[in-house]
Amino acid sequence: MKGRRADKAATTVFWALGIIVVVILGFIIIEIFARGLLTALNPKFIFGKPEAMKPGGGIFPMIVSTLYLVVLSLIISLPISIGAAIYLSEYAKKGKLTSFIRFCLDTLATLPSIVFGLFGLALFVVYFQWSYCLMAGAFTLAILNLPILLRGTEQAMTLVPDTYREASMSLGASKWTTIRQVVVPSAMPGIITATILPIGRIVGESAAIIYTTGLFIRNIPVNPFDTAAPLAGYVWYAQTEGQGDYLRVVNGGAALLLIMVLVIYFLARYLGRKYQEKRLLGG
Amino acid sequence: MSKSENISPGTTMRAVVRGDRDRWVKLVMFCCAAISFLGVLMIFLFIFRESLPAITKVGIPKLFLSTDWRPKSGHYGMLAFTFGTIFTTVVAMLVAAPLGIGAAIFIDQVAPDKVGRAVRRVIELLAGIPSVVIGWFGLILLVPFLRNLTGSSGFGMGAASLVLVVMSLPTITTLSAESLKAVPTELKEASAAMGATRWQSIYKVIMPSAREGIIIAVVLGMGRAIGETMAVQMVIGNASQATASLVQPGSTLTTRIVQDLGEASGVFRSALFAQALMLLLLSIFLIICIRWISRERKS
Repeated sequence: MKGRRADKAATTVFWALGIIVVVILGFIIIEIFARGLLTALNPKFIFGKPEAMKPGGGIFPMIVSTLYLVVLSLIISLPISIGAAIYLSEYAKKGKLTSFIRFCLDTLATLPSIVFGLFGLALFVVYFQWSYCLMAGAFTLAILNLPILLRGTEQAMTLVPDTYREASMSLGASKWTTIRQVVVPSAMPGIITATILPIGRIVGESAAIIYTTGLFIRNIPVNPFDTAAPLAGYVWYAQTEGQGDYLRVVNGGAALLLIMVLVIYFLARYLGRKYQEKRLLGG
Repeated sequence: MSKSENISPGTTMRAVVRGDRDRWVKLVMFCCAAISFLGVLMIFLFIFRESLPAITKVGIPKLFLSTDWRPKSGHYGMLAFTFGTIFTTVVAMLVAAPLGIGAAIFIDQVAPDKVGRAVRRVIELLAGIPSVVIGWFGLILLVPFLRNLTGSSGFGMGAASLVLVVMSLPTITTLSAESLKAVPTELKEASAAMGATRWQSIYKVIMPSAREGIIIAVVLGMGRAIGETMAVQMVIGNASQATASLVQPGSTLTTRIVQDLGEASGVFRSALFAQALMLLLLSIFLIICIRWISRERKS
């Protein structure tokens, strides 16, 4: 049977392709951890002060920069996303205007992050004269993340059963009261889950921040308008400069970034599963 | 607000107030949604504004259609890098498209449920790995490997293309798997009922009916490859020549921007913004392609 044999061959090929994908990821994780895990978990490295030339530098200000950037950027983009999601899922009718908004969102989702970086440099750093600072990076990343954050938030809202809305309206609540007191609260777990993916992107993003937030600092940034150096951008910078014991810094930094991304990923899966269980139980 | 509602006597009066407030709320929410348009508009305006000096001083032909890149003597032709972007993307797609679509078929059709789900998770995780980490991996493992294999420096278009395969694989696989999943079950069952083997069903029934979705997945994968910056910059060698050789160093639009922006000023800086403009145009072209394909699918 020719068909059988072809089928067997194809099955083997597909298994091989599936295995290749897993092997690629496994290879990357093992290689990065083998080189940098010990450095990444060393308290002296995590809490140490960075050095530009001398060996033995740490990365504490960079970790603080990354976390600061995540918080600032979400403070900017989350309200906008929730508002836009409310408009798209509760108010907007299907028409030219809605499809135009979606077209803009698709465009934002496809633009290269370096384009966002140059835009942030031109608008926030130069035109607004903020200079390199956390705020400039946070705004840039807020626009960069708007499409995925909005998609997640909107999905969470459309998953709220219509019966909830009808029940609220039939009790005499206005549309806005319904949204504020029924739709958004019941969508909240979903909205929280939807922020995890953008957090991962902010942590890993480098092209959009190196020319908006900054590349190297020695002190912990305090003010949102302070220059900062998020970890991903700094790892790239240390590698390009190649000064001092940059190999240790880059290996450790890459491993630490990987740890952060893994933690975020598993947190997202955990929260997502909890949310789904809750929904199935009708809670 | 709720207090005044309780006090206000007439229901009609309350309805008016409410209607007014609902209209305001709607307007505010609409403004949030409109920020997406504002964002696109501002990005266009500012990238264009910054590249204007180069466009007027160098001229469109010498800026966009020349491969002569010698910033020190005032030559700012970007064609070599536009070519580099397109070349590495195409080479990457030649590997990533079959691999990604194959992996998607594996996930959706071939693998047992548990295995398929596990592979899907692996791919989601791969999508989340920062590009500097992938670039560093390429630099410490891929480049030495290619150096031993080919006797070249190891840096170059080939290494860049391979890094792009890793970067675009998750997009292609996840979206292809989604469009395979969307093929109606009746179709799959009918094909099996006619006595088709699994492979026959896949390539005669399932693949054709998911065709547009798979094409869109590959186009979006191309979008990722065109825009990828840091990982490519670390392995491509950053030479300013145009080359179609996989073992020669070169540049893409993104890597040239990152490489030079730090020390560029004046027309030089503006020429780099013009390269960002070129990237913008390439992305817009891809978006239009996707719109066109999905419209074809609907009709």
